[in-house]
Amino acid sequence: MKKVIVACGGAVATSTVAANGIKELCKANGIDVEILQIRMSEIESSLQGIDLIVTTMRIKRDYGLPYVNGMAFLTGINKEETEEKILGYLK
Amino acid sequence: MGVLSFVQYFVDLGPAVMLPIVIFIVALCLGQSIGKSLKSGISIGIGFVGIGLVISLMLNNLAKAAVAMSENFGISMNIIDIGWPGSSPMTWASDIALVAIPIAIAVNLVMLALRMTRVVNLDIWNIWHFAFTGALVHIATGSYTLGVVGVIIHAAFAYKLGDWFAPIAEEYFGLEGIALPHGTTGYLAPISVPINCLIDKIPVIKDININPGQIEKRFGVIGDPAIMGAVMGVMIGVLAGYDVRGILTLGIQMASVIILMPQVVKHIMGGLLPVSEAAKVMLQKRFKNSKFYIGLDCALLLGDPVVVTASLLFIPITIFLAAIIPGNQILPFGDLATIGFFVAMAVGVHGGNLFRTIITGSVVMSLTIWISNQTIGLHTILAKNAGQLTDPSAKIASLDQGGSPITYILTQVFNTTNATGLICVGGFYIACVIFTYFWYKKGQQKMVVAEVREGQKGMAE
Repeated sequence: MKKVIVACGGAVATSTVAANGIKELCKANGIDVEILQIRMSEIESSLQGIDLIVTTMRIKRDYGLPYVNGMAFLTGINKEETEEKILGYLK
Repeated sequence: MGVLSFVQYFVDLGPAVMLPIVIFIVALCLGQSIGKSLKSGISIGIGFVGIGLVISLMLNNLAKAAVAMSENFGISMNIIDIGWPGSSPMTWASDIALVAIPIAIAVNLVMLALRMTRVVNLDIWNIWHFAFTGALVHIATGSYTLGVVGVIIHAAFAYKLGDWFAPIAEEYFGLEGIALPHGTTGYLAPISVPINCLIDKIPVIKDININPGQIEKRFGVIGDPAIMGAVMGVMIGVLAGYDVRGILTLGIQMASVIILMPQVVKHIMGGLLPVSEAAKVMLQKRFKNSKFYIGLDCALLLGDPVVVTASLLFIPITIFLAAIIPGNQILPFGDLATIGFFVAMAVGVHGGNLFRTIITGSVVMSLTIWISNQTIGLHTILAKNAGQLTDPSAKIASLDQGGSPITYILTQVFNTTNATGLICVGGFYIACVIFTYFWYKKGQQKMVVAEVREGQKGMAE
């Protein structure tokens, strides 16, 4: 089971889009995944056992864990590239 | 049973049942499978039921403490700010919300066709901001048509804001080709422009800046929403004169509200996903060209370090302003965890200058708090219509959208109850918007001149 943080500003709108995209991606690739959908301000206190962090916004902080920007799930631009990056960390 | 009575029966089912059925049908029409459509419909229902529970938790406990606190100190902060996680679901439940999505998309398409905007808005969730304006105009005037007009005006204005601030999104936030026609950040951005130009003209003050790095480290722990909620609950419990047991209980309850709110509201977004995906595919097919901006949620700005720091600072600043604004009845709460939405674009306009952001933000929050007080009545009716208030005497307010100048101006223009307020606050806001328009034009001119010069240089070489 892989654990992924998906975060945005309010943990309601854009992170739902990205979380949905990641869930479908993992399902299609047979990866067992658990998604923790939270606000960006909650990332720091939620890092335990996390395999990957995805945020819909650009962040400048380094949390010391694999990170992928998930904006492509909102725009549809370079989505395959983002999906490959995510798979690379989760496979 | 006649058609009318059937429609009435359907509407009387209440939003938590009616909207799932509507979304199920819409999702089917958009080509989703029966299973997925069913899941979307039920998901939106879960969101409504969930936010109802959380709002009850908030009103039954925090509201009582706020009343006790107000009585102890002879102040009037006894109406709770339910925040955008509270106000957006009741807007989606209003009878204008579902038509607001096609209307907002149509306004966008018309403006694109007439070259009035370059923004292709893919941010379906935030159409709730336009719908909120429409719903309040509808409640204030009793006219559904005027409500729709409200949605159209707010949407058109938001797309223009997207155009005006796209250069800031690119230059400061590094979001190339992206505009943020988003409710809160968008409509509050014009206030930062005249303030920035004013500060530029004041000697000494214009050179002040604050380094944000230190602040984030020092206050970082309070920025965690669970801790912030608990601290707020404990503080209000103390001020309300509760005993230790009451104080600690309120602390845990308020931490629960802050954490549970997005956990339930996200299901509404989950239910809207088929609509949002279909709109995205349709719009992107038509507008692939690089001369268009993609309109996205301004949550994209909240990762910037200065915005993060401002989000922390504005938790205490907003509470302080609410305490000193004469006659204020609202206790800021539901919006505190995402207060960054109010000042995010100001950070960009001020080039990351935290000192200037604090000045603009204080003006923005004072204005917002004052307006939210004016919309308590209409907002409470919106909540009642959505079936979100179990106690009929309860009143609610929200800073994020209840405190919006554009919503206030439109409801007052269509149904004037406070002409002085409309002239002063409306006048101030419109002056800021006009200033912003000329600032944008000047910026455009500079860019054109620079491009021409580059071109000439290229030719000379």
